[in-house]
Amino acid sequence: MSVERYSVSIRSGERMIVNTGSYDVSRDEVTFLFGESGIGKSMVSKAVYGLLDPDELDVTVNGRPYAEYLADPATVELRGNSFFVFQEPSSHLNPLLKISDQMNEGSLRLCKDDSDITAKLWHGADARALARVLDVFPKPYRPSGGEKQRALLAMAFKKISLLASSKAAGARTFFVFDEPTGSLDNNYRNLFLELLFEKYSQHPFTVMVITHDYSIISELYAKYRQLLPHIHLKELRRAEPPEVEVVDFSAQDYLNWLGEAPKGPGTTGAGDTVLDFGARFTVFGRKLCLFKDAARTQPANLVIRKGEMAYVKAPSGVGKTTLAKVILGLYRAQELSMSLCGLPFTARTPKKIWEKEVWGRRAGMVFQHADESLNLASSVRETFSGLPLSERMTPGRLDFVLSELFDGSPGAPFLAKKVAMLSGGQKQRLNLLRSIVLGPDLLILDEPLNGLDFVSVKKVLAILDDRRNKGAALLMISHNEEIFDHFVDPRHVYYLAECG
Amino acid sequence: MWLLGLVAVGVWDVLFLNRPALAQVAAGFFDTFSVAFLAVAFTLVLAWGATLALHFMDAWKNRAPYLLLTFLLNLVRSVPQVVGILFGYVGVSALVQAGVLRNSVFVFSLLALSISIFVFIEFVDLMRERIAHYQKLDFYNAMRVCGVSESRVVNFDILWKNSRIHVLNKLISVFGAAIFLQCSVDFIISVGLSTDVNSVTLPATMGSLLAKIDSKQDILAIGYSLTHPEYMGNLFFSHLQGVTVAFLIVFSLMSIYHIANGYAERHRL
Repeated sequence: MSVERYSVSIRSGERMIVNTGSYDVSRDEVTFLFGESGIGKSMVSKAVYGLLDPDELDVTVNGRPYAEYLADPATVELRGNSFFVFQEPSSHLNPLLKISDQMNEGSLRLCKDDSDITAKLWHGADARALARVLDVFPKPYRPSGGEKQRALLAMAFKKISLLASSKAAGARTFFVFDEPTGSLDNNYRNLFLELLFEKYSQHPFTVMVITHDYSIISELYAKYRQLLPHIHLKELRRAEPPEVEVVDFSAQDYLNWLGEAPKGPGTTGAGDTVLDFGARFTVFGRKLCLFKDAARTQPANLVIRKGEMAYVKAPSGVGKTTLAKVILGLYRAQELSMSLCGLPFTARTPKKIWEKEVWGRRAGMVFQHADESLNLASSVRETFSGLPLSERMTPGRLDFVLSELFDGSPGAPFLAKKVAMLSGGQKQRLNLLRSIVLGPDLLILDEPLNGLDFVSVKKVLAILDDRRNKGAALLMISHNEEIFDHFVDPRHVYYLAECG
Repeated sequence: MWLLGLVAVGVWDVLFLNRPALAQVAAGFFDTFSVAFLAVAFTLVLAWGATLALHFMDAWKNRAPYLLLTFLLNLVRSVPQVVGILFGYVGVSALVQAGVLRNSVFVFSLLALSISIFVFIEFVDLMRERIAHYQKLDFYNAMRVCGVSESRVVNFDILWKNSRIHVLNKLISVFGAAIFLQCSVDFIISVGLSTDVNSVTLPATMGSLLAKIDSKQDILAIGYSLTHPEYMGNLFFSHLQGVTVAFLIVFSLMSIYHIANGYAERHRL
């Protein structure tokens, strides 16, 4: 096995953005790179691929100035044999060109037959169904995030197919998939993995998959054991700031942790009912139902007692976040029957009641995008001011609260730091702590593990388990089914779907 | 640059402008800028107050107060700024003539207030837009469901933390507009509306100085020097009062315009 050794530093003016120590990328093998959001996974990969702008950023790769690295014939060759799937599909696609045309741009047009790729990624959809999705402009037809993501993946796989048919012996390749499954549910994520390893088995190439989705590890161990010697799990971790380091990630750590997950006291140990939400509700003219069974045949009220953690599952876009916002009175339902800590709520309950009786007291919510739900212009300290806390947030208490999810004592410079300057993972931890510190009777968590590294994931779930043990009722909304299936008692799993 | 220009003109005037004229120019400059500063302060207070009033009234069940305030604001909006301020000035001068207003601080304040009343509504629009923008984001709901009060979210998190750059930029523009409107109205009053008003009743301002006979002759001299360049040298000695006032107005407005633009560019507004 040969390796490519890299060290990357990226600076913007005086500010060091990321500085990796030396790290290896195994040639013609598959590397999964984990790490918290905003730590620099994408930037480092873009730097190596040659996508950063040397006029905007001061970049060095292996100690060489970026312009020199870009002009190197080896880099030029690498880019010619590679593909980069960007994290945000919308920014990758040209809004003025049909998606099908974009899939055949440049060298991709040489790959005449892409039917195996589209059939796999669109799960056997026929030509007519595919045309409806692909023969459109990204704007104004606005295909879903998942469709756009699959279009990008199809482009990458076309390039891989081309290389497989023409690859000169020893040619360097570098296929980067940056959060390739961020907009896909587990079913489509698994189809992507199937296709990736199918192509890889035919002709090995160098792959870097950047992801936060640790549950991919279980899928690798369940279905691709024979390929494990060619699969490397790495994690980009914070070392001495602003240094980061690429270290090996232990799959066993993750798998063992999952196996030991506590599931709470179950129904017998639970206390009074905190939330009783009617099985049917109507919002924005859509009738939605909650079920207790995966087949969605038995409608059931969503009931959470003290000390219980419930989990609501549904495919993307069905309305999980909408349900949370209806519970909190942010969206007005046309049909609603709910009781929260004994207080009845209907579609006619004025918003003022939620404002006075519920928000920050009986219930709170962690929104799914920390970037959007925190005041980025505030400092870390100010994020905790104005909250209706039972005891004053003294500096000592704030230190204690932050130490639950941040290493050591954060110190004055960190407290004074603007939220906008934090990494995505740090923002998410702050987002979680702001609601957790309130200690409401019911805490709704919408995608609480977004953007977190494994250490933080473990800490967050430990804190939530602690709050549950102390009597809090928790409602989880997450696409991360594997983790929550291990953490939530199956009797408290609900399925949301449209009905009638 | 602005301050340097003002200092340079000041030094030149001290050296070459006669004492009574210098005193008039200094008083005019001080009065104009004092009124403009006060107008900025009143505009901020009025706009912030009206924005909050509209925001909270909008959520009330009883729509009448919201509609009434909106109607009143639109009524003020429908009056051209110069016309509105002109009437304000006429009112203030009437009060001064009647002997009701004697203290110059009150006179300045009322003049500034009459400017603010016709300027602050665009400020309200800006603040309402900022609030509306943030209300659409998760940020607003996320803070509210954490129990943070509406008043804190609006005042601190939206208007102070996320909009103060926009607010300050607008205040700089308001300052420029206040000088411009003041000079325009003073000029109109001094030249055409009444022989009783202004020089006797209202404080001397740069607009009123410009309207005086001497200054008008000085301004005419500038035009004359364009066709007779050999006369140009006299402008800076024989016609210094009018040239100084004209320069201070134009140079200050231009500088304020550049400051506002530079500020907007620096903060990428």
